[in-house]
Amino acid sequence: MTSRLPPRGNVTTSYAHSEKKRDGSTVPATSPSVRARVRGAERSSMAPLRPLSRLPGLNSANVLLVESEEQFQQRLADRLVEETTFTVNVRLAKSLPLPVENEESRPRIDLVVFIINLTSELSLQSAEASVKCLDHRYFLGKVSFMVTNARNVAAPGERLDAVRKLAASLHCALLFAEDQTPDGVTNATERLLTILKVAAGLVPMTTALYLSNLTRGTALRDIDQPSFD
Amino acid sequence: MDDSAKRLLQRLMRRIPTPTLRSALEKWGRLTTEQQKSMDFTQSKWALTERLLGICEVNSAIFSEIQINVNQGMWYAFQLMDPEDDAKSVDLTQFKEQFKSHLRELVRNVSIKMKKHTDEAVWIRIAWGDTFSRPNHLKPTYIVHYLQTPYVFVTSITSKQKPLLSQALVLSTRYQAIKDANLSGRKLTAIRDLLMKKYQQVFPTKYPIPPPENNQTISNQHIEKEQAELAANRLQMACEAFGGGMLPQLQSAVYKLETKFRDHSNKTMTEREEPFRCVVKFTSTNLLESFRHCASSGIASTPVTPLLSCIPLKGRNYFLITDNGPGPSSQRGQPQV
Repeated sequence: MTSRLPPRGNVTTSYAHSEKKRDGSTVPATSPSVRARVRGAERSSMAPLRPLSRLPGLNSANVLLVESEEQFQQRLADRLVEETTFTVNVRLAKSLPLPVENEESRPRIDLVVFIINLTSELSLQSAEASVKCLDHRYFLGKVSFMVTNARNVAAPGERLDAVRKLAASLHCALLFAEDQTPDGVTNATERLLTILKVAAGLVPMTTALYLSNLTRGTALRDIDQPSFD
Repeated sequence: MDDSAKRLLQRLMRRIPTPTLRSALEKWGRLTTEQQKSMDFTQSKWALTERLLGICEVNSAIFSEIQINVNQGMWYAFQLMDPEDDAKSVDLTQFKEQFKSHLRELVRNVSIKMKKHTDEAVWIRIAWGDTFSRPNHLKPTYIVHYLQTPYVFVTSITSKQKPLLSQALVLSTRYQAIKDANLSGRKLTAIRDLLMKKYQQVFPTKYPIPPPENNQTISNQHIEKEQAELAANRLQMACEAFGGGMLPQLQSAVYKLETKFRDHSNKTMTEREEPFRCVVKFTSTNLLESFRHCASSGIASTPVTPLLSCIPLKGRNYFLITDNGPGPSSQRGQPQV
């Protein structure tokens, strides 16, 4: 499968043109339900984060970690940048939308990860509100959810179901992480790097959309759920 | 040494927790170094008490001079009001004489010990007795007063003894009245620092200089915070409201609300004449630190609401809020401590 690259001489201009042209035809469209979900908020928000507004960097990947509590993201970031085979740049945010001042210096974000702490309702609500500020084109495999404290007794079952439904309806991967021990952080980092490499286009023959078909969560119906009560 | 003194020493020894026994005896300073060395601290407390009694028989120590400061119980702050003209020039000897004479006029049998510490604080230890009984040294009241300031800190006082103490204090410090400062806490240093603003204050600036000792240097160049400016603003506002650095350790803040029940579907409650009372209590090991963290992490909205920021501003942690009043400073009636 050969992909057509624009000629080297005028990389900048033609790329921008082709992005617009490809919008309706070759790029697979996001499902209508996802688009409807984010479009309403797009009109109201200042500038939704767009996935293809910049050029990709050479042998590098940029990931945006969004966490309302700003705790786990720092440790995850410290482990992510230790990756040696390619350069990982991490951007940390508390919520979306991102400040407009950083618009120029911000590189192209390959993967957006929403970190939700299941013991906090505020964390879930903040993530839900932030999801609406993403351009709908991100939901083709460039968004994933990472959930912590799923085994904690303080986390009610309804919250986990709500996160599962959210991830399934947006066709995103749902990862579970253990954030208290260094081993847990390492595991989460490795899984995140797998998805990040694909989303940044560093794995040949695999696109983010292809991977998302394999990793996206499904919301189980109540009948299928085994009950442990 | 008479029996009551022996019993007093035994009960005191029982009260002191075993790990701090050695340092407490050193602080007491009535045992010579050889006697101190001869006390074997691996023995049981009862054996140590017997040994101590033996040593004290030799020394014939006087028990009214025991100043073992046990740091338990709540400290309450009081403020002296309306100074007379010579209130600022009251010196230590004058204060001591006046206080002792006034209190002895009011209470027949009372044992007063006063001592000035290096940090300008006057410590007063009062053992109360009455016409028929001797002063009770097991339930003393401790009072700390900083001369030339209107602040007095008191612990372990009953409601019967309070007016006597207030009268003696007001007369000896040359003020006209004393009132409850609505501040209480377990640590004397904490409430003193809060009232006298002895912690690091942060003032609003137009051009804040980013603190150089923050951990920006060790953070990786590949990691970037998108909303760093917003976070810095929140931190600045939180520090302006509560202070920077180490904060005095308050344990609780109590808000008593007196308002009207407002729900049109519930007629019986809205038609009551008496005000609807509720109490909101915040507790923590370090309350101000918790509030500051809430504000800087965005859990509490910034700018910080005056209900919270007036705790360090006014130096109180008990508030009575009514509907008509302009805010937490309104107060009707006497709040109980």
